[in-house]
Amino acid sequence: MNAPDLLRLAQPPARRFVPALIWGVLSAAAAVSLLAVSGWLIVSASIVDSLVPLSVAVVGVRFFAVSRAVFRYLERLSGHDAALRQLAKTRSGMVDELVPLSPAGLGGTDRGQVLSALVDDVENLQNLPLRVVQPLATAGVVALGAVGFIAFVSAPAALTLLACLVVAAAVAIGLGWVFGSRAERALSRQRAELSAALVDYFGSLDVLLAFGAEPQARERIEQADVRLRRTATRASFAQASAAGVLSVLAGAASVWALAVASPGLATGAIDGPWLAVVVLVPMVVFEVFGAVPIAAASWRSVRASAERIADVLPAHVPEELRADAGDDTAPRTAAVRLSDVHAHWPGGAPALRGVSLELAPGERVHVSGPSGAGKSSLAAVLVGFLRAEGGFTIGGTDAAQLSGPALRRTIGLCEQHPQLFDEDIRQNLLFARDTATDDELFAVLERVGLREWVRERGGLDARVGDRGALVSGGQAQRIALARALLRGFPVLVLDEPTAGVDAEASDALLRDLLGAAGEQSVLLISHVEPPAGSVDRVVRIEAGRTL
Amino acid sequence: MLRGRVLRGWMLRGQVLRSAEPVAPRGGIRQKPPHTVTESAERNGPATKMKPVDPRLLRYAGAARGFFALAGAIGVLQTAVVIAFAWFLTDAITGALAGRGIGGSLIWLLVLALIRGALIAASDAAGSAAAAKTGMQLRSALVRAVGRLGPGWLAQRNQASLAVTAGHGLEALDQYFARYLPQLVLTVIATPVLVAVMWWQDWPSGIIAVITLPLIPVFMILIGMATRGVQRTQWQTLQRLAVRFADTVQGLSTLRLFGRERRAVSQIEATAEQYRRETMKVLRYSFLSGFALELLSSLAVALIAVAVGFRLLAGDLSLEIGLFVLLLAPEAFLPIRQVGVQFHAASEGVAATEDIFAVLDEAAAVHDSGDSVAQAAVRPVSGPARADSPELCVRGLRVRDLPPVTFTARPGTITLVEGPSGSGKSSLLAALRGAVDYSGSATFGDSLDSRDTRDSLGDLRDPAPLDRRDVRGRAPSDWLAWAGQAPGLVKGTIAANVALGDAAPSAAAIRRALDAACAPELDPAQPLGVQGAGLSGGQAQRVAVARALYRHAADPSRVLMLDEPSSALDPDTESRLWRTLRELADAGATILLVSHRRTARAVADTVITLAAESRRKTADGAAL
Repeated sequence: MNAPDLLRLAQPPARRFVPALIWGVLSAAAAVSLLAVSGWLIVSASIVDSLVPLSVAVVGVRFFAVSRAVFRYLERLSGHDAALRQLAKTRSGMVDELVPLSPAGLGGTDRGQVLSALVDDVENLQNLPLRVVQPLATAGVVALGAVGFIAFVSAPAALTLLACLVVAAAVAIGLGWVFGSRAERALSRQRAELSAALVDYFGSLDVLLAFGAEPQARERIEQADVRLRRTATRASFAQASAAGVLSVLAGAASVWALAVASPGLATGAIDGPWLAVVVLVPMVVFEVFGAVPIAAASWRSVRASAERIADVLPAHVPEELRADAGDDTAPRTAAVRLSDVHAHWPGGAPALRGVSLELAPGERVHVSGPSGAGKSSLAAVLVGFLRAEGGFTIGGTDAAQLSGPALRRTIGLCEQHPQLFDEDIRQNLLFARDTATDDELFAVLERVGLREWVRERGGLDARVGDRGALVSGGQAQRIALARALLRGFPVLVLDEPTAGVDAEASDALLRDLLGAAGEQSVLLISHVEPPAGSVDRVVRIEAGRTL
Repeated sequence: MLRGRVLRGWMLRGQVLRSAEPVAPRGGIRQKPPHTVTESAERNGPATKMKPVDPRLLRYAGAARGFFALAGAIGVLQTAVVIAFAWFLTDAITGALAGRGIGGSLIWLLVLALIRGALIAASDAAGSAAAAKTGMQLRSALVRAVGRLGPGWLAQRNQASLAVTAGHGLEALDQYFARYLPQLVLTVIATPVLVAVMWWQDWPSGIIAVITLPLIPVFMILIGMATRGVQRTQWQTLQRLAVRFADTVQGLSTLRLFGRERRAVSQIEATAEQYRRETMKVLRYSFLSGFALELLSSLAVALIAVAVGFRLLAGDLSLEIGLFVLLLAPEAFLPIRQVGVQFHAASEGVAATEDIFAVLDEAAAVHDSGDSVAQAAVRPVSGPARADSPELCVRGLRVRDLPPVTFTARPGTITLVEGPSGSGKSSLLAALRGAVDYSGSATFGDSLDSRDTRDSLGDLRDPAPLDRRDVRGRAPSDWLAWAGQAPGLVKGTIAANVALGDAAPSAAAIRRALDAACAPELDPAQPLGVQGAGLSGGQAQRVAVARALYRHAADPSRVLMLDEPSSALDPDTESRLWRTLRELADAGATILLVSHRRTARAVADTVITLAAESRRKTADGAAL
């Protein structure tokens, strides 16, 4: 998905967006008219001595005063309505794009960071309609409308206003562009540096203190801060001068209009009240126009977000990943056989270079090997996140013929860092099988040794916190296993279940996990030796090959 | 006219959409365990009360004080320019109508427009500069405060969200300083002056302004109070929605594993649609406060214009005064409208400062206790002050309510500390590092045995007293080479991590340390990301061990203290690591090893078994 597509995804369709635009233009026009009609009224009142010609203007002043607020109110309502509708579409559209890529096609070791940056950028895309398109469109329409209107009264004044507006637009956008976009790139880099320095400082404070490196780490933060501040000041200087230039031009537009239109008084080309209108209108038009440099800055930020998202999302699903299409029927048995399987990560780095493995129904096999040997790649191949090259059959059926969902109904995986959702425990379990009763949930919690723990925490309604922040690594693994048991995968792959667990707790955890699995076949991927007698066989992987 | 950008924030102020960004967005860390620093930010929906100016801001950030003075000065000048501009414009228009020459007035107007532009630019630039400077001051104060409070304090906080508040959170201060505060200052300076001028020129117009102006805050407060509760609920729902989206994206692989990916997509749409409908109902009311603000300020202008018009018609008023008052009226309302517009955007930055103030207040409270480890003088990394490894004596050391521990770790031996989980192994190491409080004593220095040996040999020529130092209050970097359970790596090369804290790192020693830590495959030049990103868990652990070995090799008079160094290693690598440790001990090192591995017993000289904790274990068996 490229950046223009993303921006289209974030912008509401015309039929939703145009009403807000209309109300916005009407409100701005009412603001312009309020001052114009007021000026006309006052100057007229000093010239004529009858109320009759003024009564329409009096009504006009009152009407515009009220309608400006009403239109603004309507603009905000319809603008937010359109933006909120689009918000849902942008988010779901983005998830749609990410599904086939997840997880192997999204970042390597820093996948978590890539994804959270992506989430931020998607949120930022939502600013497009309300903070970019709407103010720019409103300012443009109102500015042109005002120029057209003044052209009827005094052509030279209209030309001066147009000239000032064009210069203002050029300066505001140009200045922001020249200073802003370069500075913004530097800014986002320096912000990242600063935040990295902060995360390192807070995350490793004990180490820094123990190694006497705390002053250097603090200095690193301060240096990053100074650099960021310098760039930010430069960037804000561009913004500030744009605002200043705009204000000067607003004054100049009124002064110039007065200078070119007032000679018309002598020739009768313009009368007093209309002269006041010609002088006052530019002031309000420039007020509306003040939104342009801000919108330009928002646009730069939105576009940068769109480009970053486009960088993460490849145009096509990489061929190293497995497509989800295929036969949707379940294989006959759960016998898994891999013979000389190769696989690659997106970009071509080899993940497996010849793995042969058999897992009979009900069997427990421990896959061991040093870190980086390809153990997790094997898990990714088994559940169809990576494309297997070579022989991969389940119950005699070629796994490549199966659809992705069908494959994953047979082979389940407890990930190294199981994702718990920020819900209660019940929801975190039910999403594996939403028909399960509370009794069934407690039964499965019992199997993974969590029944008492859940009871103590207030039952199934206890929340697990954001990304399981409120539960320890061991409990998260147990909950993830409970979820997998509930789903009843015939084959279950456990990927480093002790990774996030205190060293001393891992034995107990492994024993419990393997004990709970029941008649499922289990492929335990772990660098830690499982307790004696808990597995049937050990398969060793080194450098992507089975030994 | 005070600022050429009046309406912008109005349409964008995004009571709804701006707050769609959770408080702690960048870095994607939204964990909120009980003690998170973003807690107060979370409570502070846009509808909560915000003081116009927090006095603590002025106390903790000197830059903020200077900014107020500057903003005040600029505000006074801006007010003067506004009045002068309105006066000369009136003069020019009436002059033109009367057929007088207006060249002089036009030149004055141009000059004033230039000054006005310069003031606006100055105010903007000053605001941004003050925001950046204040952010920096607060950040640096926060970092110092955390350094003072120490790792023990930090362990109870969500470090990630603290980092986010200090980084991204403080950036929201820009809105506060560059947009909100100048308008607040103007409301105090310009609005009363302009109303006074109007009153002086034409008192009926002054009265209209005096009556309508106070109505604006009154209406806004009334409407704000009426909708506060609903707004907060909405804001929370919105937060939840944003979190759910983030959750879904992060958990896509899990959703795929359970065949739930399609349902997640439709669920996002369905809940967002339902939320939209509910929100729009609420917005109908909450936008009313903006409506009241707009309506009152434009109605006031309209009332003044019409009243002036009628009195001009009656001949009670001159055109000069009428036009002058008409030009001033919108300016009097502008700052107060802007304050309303900028209020919500500014409150985000304020929420971040509040979190930081809480930490600063806490640090100020412990400031004088004086047991600050961070401030202790740091000994150079290498160049042994004493050639021998020290003896470590722990006598009745007790952390919290754990049983007291007594042992002696002698040079040339490996002392293994073991015990069930919760028995306080990591707490013991934390006490020795000075990261937690303890009672009892821990000293290191000359071996008591060596004195005995000397005495028994009858060597009386060297009557130097035993050199023994207390661990308490001493910087751990002085006498320890430590590797904890969490690797604690930082951004930089592997070499920089291994030689952490060494001003003059030795490439050869780094290589040796990595090899000794069973990480020969790692390239010292390999750059790592934040917190060592780019390494697997096992690799990161070995780099952390290498860091301790490097430190120890630079000066063997340090005690080598390793906490579960093999937990992420496979058995082969583990036994190689044990061999390394054995060789170091045989060469005279004092090694304190915490491990639950059975194989560790074989390599240890002394085994200290900590008693099981009396409290009931957790289901995980993994209480600290």
